[in-house]
Amino acid sequence: MKTLVLLLVAAFAAIAVADHHECDILSRLKVKSQWVRAYSSGHQREDFAKAIWRAIFAQEPEARSLFKRVKGDDPNSPEFGAHILRVLAGLDIVISILDQKEPLAAELDHLQEQHKERHIPDSYFDAFKTALLHVLPAQLGRCWDREAWSECFDVIAHGIKGH
Amino acid sequence: MLRVLVLLGLVACSLVVEGRQHCCSAQDRHIVEEQWKSIWTESESSVFRSGIGRHILLALAKAYPEVNELFKDVDIAHPEGGKFTAHALRIFDAIDTAINALDHPEVLDAALDHLADQHKVRAGVKKAHFQKIGEILHETLVHVLDNYNSLSWKSCFKGILGKIASKLQA
Repeated sequence: MKTLVLLLVAAFAAIAVADHHECDILSRLKVKSQWVRAYSSGHQREDFAKAIWRAIFAQEPEARSLFKRVKGDDPNSPEFGAHILRVLAGLDIVISILDQKEPLAAELDHLQEQHKERHIPDSYFDAFKTALLHVLPAQLGRCWDREAWSECFDVIAHGIKGH
Repeated sequence: MLRVLVLLGLVACSLVVEGRQHCCSAQDRHIVEEQWKSIWTESESSVFRSGIGRHILLALAKAYPEVNELFKDVDIAHPEGGKFTAHALRIFDAIDTAINALDHPEVLDAALDHLADQHKVRAGVKKAHFQKIGEILHETLVHVLDNYNSLSWKSCFKGILGKIASKLQA
């Protein structure tokens, strides 16, 4: 009987461990290839960026104040349009090297440096994640892996926040 | 008859002037976008992209050795290392962002204005460096694009690089 209980405990522990992937190498490769499709090009890329930002501001209206310099109060302004394309380009760089340790560390350091003095609350990163995870399936259709994206986004956000 | 000829001549002249005013025309932009798209491969693009970025920066440093000093912070001494690879990707993505915004001139302008600001504060960066980057870019693209249309690319990148360099002193 004791053995059975032990086995059951062991089985549950194994399931718990298996459930908690941590953006392993296969997830990273998957995110990379799905991103290339989602990122797209030209006007579609602009629309993709706008959709993410609409979803962020809908969750955290106060976040707009961080983007005064790039005219975040007018999301249709060219300045804000250019800004959100820059952000997506930064994300694009990070995702493209998710499977390359050294360049990834260097790029995350660089982004951390750029965000440090802006004192961005953690909740804004959460809002970004929620927004991205909502817009991605709209862009990719059925073939996308929410778990992989969730885990790997956490790796990226962790690298930019520095904690 | 003469009148018609004169009129035709005037129309032709104005077309030429018009053409000059529209460097990087809609057709040019379309060609550049399509040809650029053809070099994006699915997931292994990062090696290709950092390779292009690295090549451009190293060729620039070869032509202007003083540039090595400007890229010291991104560790140009070790071009294959993580720091320089990440920077090479930033250069590539700046080019990519510009090309993908070609169809939206106001957004493109705002993006290039931001890049001009970012380069203005880097002492030692010169307009001549950007002119050289233009030459290097064309030499590079001739090699990597199967059907490179140099006239379209040159007319579009003259404006792009010119705007990024527009706030530099020298």
